[in-house]
Amino acid sequence: MFTGASKYFLGLTAGAVVSFVLYLLFVTPNDLGAIALGTVVLVAGTLAGVTLFNRDAEADTIEDATGAASQPLSNSVWPLVCALGVALMVVGLASVAMVFLIGLGVLALGAIEWLVQDWAEGASADNKFNAFIRERALNPLELPIFAAIGAGVIAFSFSRIMLAMDKSAGAILFIIIASAVLLVGFLNAFKPNFRGKIVAVLAAVAGVALIAGGVATALSGERSQLAEASAEDHFAHKECGEEKSKYFDKLANNRVPLRSGVTATVILEDGKLRAEMIGFPEPTRYVTIPKANDVSILFRNKDAEDRRLKLTLGTEVVAETGVEEKLYTCTQMTGEDQENVLVVNIKKQSSVAGPYELVVPGIDDAIEVVVP
Amino acid sequence: MKRMMSPRRLTALAGVLGVAFLAGCAKNAPQDTWQPKGPNAEKIDNLNWLVFPIAGVVGVIMLALFAVVMVKFRDRGQPIPKQTHGKPALEVTLTIIPALILSVVGVFTVRGIFDLAEDKDTEMIINVTGQQWWWEYDYPIQEEYGVAQPIITSGQMVIPAGTKVLLRETSRDVIHSFWVPALNGKKDAVPGRIHLLRMEADEPGIYAGQCAEFCGLSHANMRMEVVALSKEDFAAWVKNQLADYNAPAKDTLAKQGEEVFLNQCVRCHQVNGLKRADGTPAIAAPEDNVYAGAAPNLTKFMARNTFAGAMFDLVNKKCREDVWGASSSEFGTKYLAGVTEDCLNTTDLRAWLRNAPVMKPMYANPEKLEPTDGKYRGMPNLNLTEDDIDKLVAYLLTLR
Repeated sequence: MFTGASKYFLGLTAGAVVSFVLYLLFVTPNDLGAIALGTVVLVAGTLAGVTLFNRDAEADTIEDATGAASQPLSNSVWPLVCALGVALMVVGLASVAMVFLIGLGVLALGAIEWLVQDWAEGASADNKFNAFIRERALNPLELPIFAAIGAGVIAFSFSRIMLAMDKSAGAILFIIIASAVLLVGFLNAFKPNFRGKIVAVLAAVAGVALIAGGVATALSGERSQLAEASAEDHFAHKECGEEKSKYFDKLANNRVPLRSGVTATVILEDGKLRAEMIGFPEPTRYVTIPKANDVSILFRNKDAEDRRLKLTLGTEVVAETGVEEKLYTCTQMTGEDQENVLVVNIKKQSSVAGPYELVVPGIDDAIEVVVP
Repeated sequence: MKRMMSPRRLTALAGVLGVAFLAGCAKNAPQDTWQPKGPNAEKIDNLNWLVFPIAGVVGVIMLALFAVVMVKFRDRGQPIPKQTHGKPALEVTLTIIPALILSVVGVFTVRGIFDLAEDKDTEMIINVTGQQWWWEYDYPIQEEYGVAQPIITSGQMVIPAGTKVLLRETSRDVIHSFWVPALNGKKDAVPGRIHLLRMEADEPGIYAGQCAEFCGLSHANMRMEVVALSKEDFAAWVKNQLADYNAPAKDTLAKQGEEVFLNQCVRCHQVNGLKRADGTPAIAAPEDNVYAGAAPNLTKFMARNTFAGAMFDLVNKKCREDVWGASSSEFGTKYLAGVTEDCLNTTDLRAWLRNAPVMKPMYANPEKLEPTDGKYRGMPNLNLTEDDIDKLVAYLLTLR
């Protein structure tokens, strides 16, 4: 067990680590302070390790250790884990930094587990007691790490499956899984027979299925629509004409969740445009927008045809080519009685870079945009 | 008997309470919510006069009871008295009385909230945009007030007295809050949203305000003033704001100052009508240099009384007192006279031009601009020479 001296040095190490972290976080660090506190951490940690492993050189504990040494040692997986960590670090050095960091983490985990296991097996001649103190020392470390890894694997696998499945099928699968979890939880709570091995087997099967499904779908890739949208880069093709755009309008939203606080609502009705601005008692023929500020303009289409709102922003000479290009942005195609929102940030005032106008392609009308 | 508090502490406590009490008697308190100067502030004040006495009486009773209990039953080593539970009559009474009080307060409060939110009878609209650490006001086209083109200004917002003005508030960076206590309550300015706040002043005058939502390092220095003018004076103000740019005469110090302005200041500050030597308009690009993407438009700069987020006076103390102390009938004339050379507060203006971050903290260390992609949150130190400052002051005086 922990001897008197080892407790002292472990406490000193913990205190020094806390001081070191607080110093780095809250005090403007300088080299001397960091070196001093870092040295205290290292020295106290080393002394803690030495006193822990030689058990303060006390006769009784050494006798226990001698007795313990005669006990058969259990097999250990941690040397293999350490080897894996070193291998990952080597691969990471030659490839990606993240792999190196993962390897470093695996090596640190393996080393700690290995050392503590070795220390625990020498604690007494009683293997049960040794296992107990090993768990007591390592559970606070193991449980959060393994839980985080487990949650990460589940989330990653589940997300791969959902991204690979059809949208509707994914929703149904989600409902089924959630219902199954609820059912198992219910049975586990109210049916005493439905515990122990049954739950363990079910959980193991579900876990294996989830991981297998995640790996399989990760290899097969995302569903075709998502893969296509990613490959074609739909939103890079911002075509603002009268016709429906092959890419930009492919997944048109036509729903706006947040209507409050918009700068203006532009309505197309009976072939005419009008702007309703918050606070203005009457519809206006212009919209005032503060310069260099993100503002939202809501477009509401009351026309029978699909329409889009387009904001023309003057022209700009392209530095590389010297060619003058028209600047504009627009909403996606909007169906009858549907809405889309246009978020814009105009950098230059309209009196010098304008005129700016809100138009609907195919409609002979315009709303002036004034940027003071 | 144990002594409860030393005489020294009692004296200190009495001193603090006395100062707090006397502070309530201050006459020069431009941000006093108890001195309403407009209908909306009046509504809030009326509500205060209902709620405050009730809350005050309840508070005093509770504090007195608390003090009596603390003194009378303080620990003298006596045994713990017998504990009792359950007094239905007392419990019901102590539930009903607060409920009744809250109901009365609630009815008037809710009605007040709806009254303050009324905007159907709006007569004029001003867009108000907050950013670290100043307010921008732009007046959309409103022909009935002579605003044929948008007007943009900062620091001081000018409104016609006796007119229901609706502010459309938003923000360019973080949440701010517009608060001029004499005219209305506070309303947050939130990025990406438009919030409405009614302003109406009964009489011509200047009404001081303060950003009421902590917004960063210079939050305390983010002030504002509402200037109410008579309708005739407001029309004159609008006319002057829309007047053409008057370039300084050749071979003058002001003309040289215009060149300094074009070389230095126009990177962020716009002066409408200002042109470069080749005749092209000088267009400011604050979006490239300032984190919020905007800097105060300095057109008709000397028509204002303040600068740097209404933190410093553009007029010296004597002229300031002359304007602030003017009667309602004289106020408009004095305000519209703008800042003359005799009235200019050269001390603060020159100090600002010399090293602005010293005057108003604005994270101006060029080596620490990584979080803002190298952009400043306010005016940096431009390292202007004294000669350049002379020229700039002369030029700024022409922006009237």
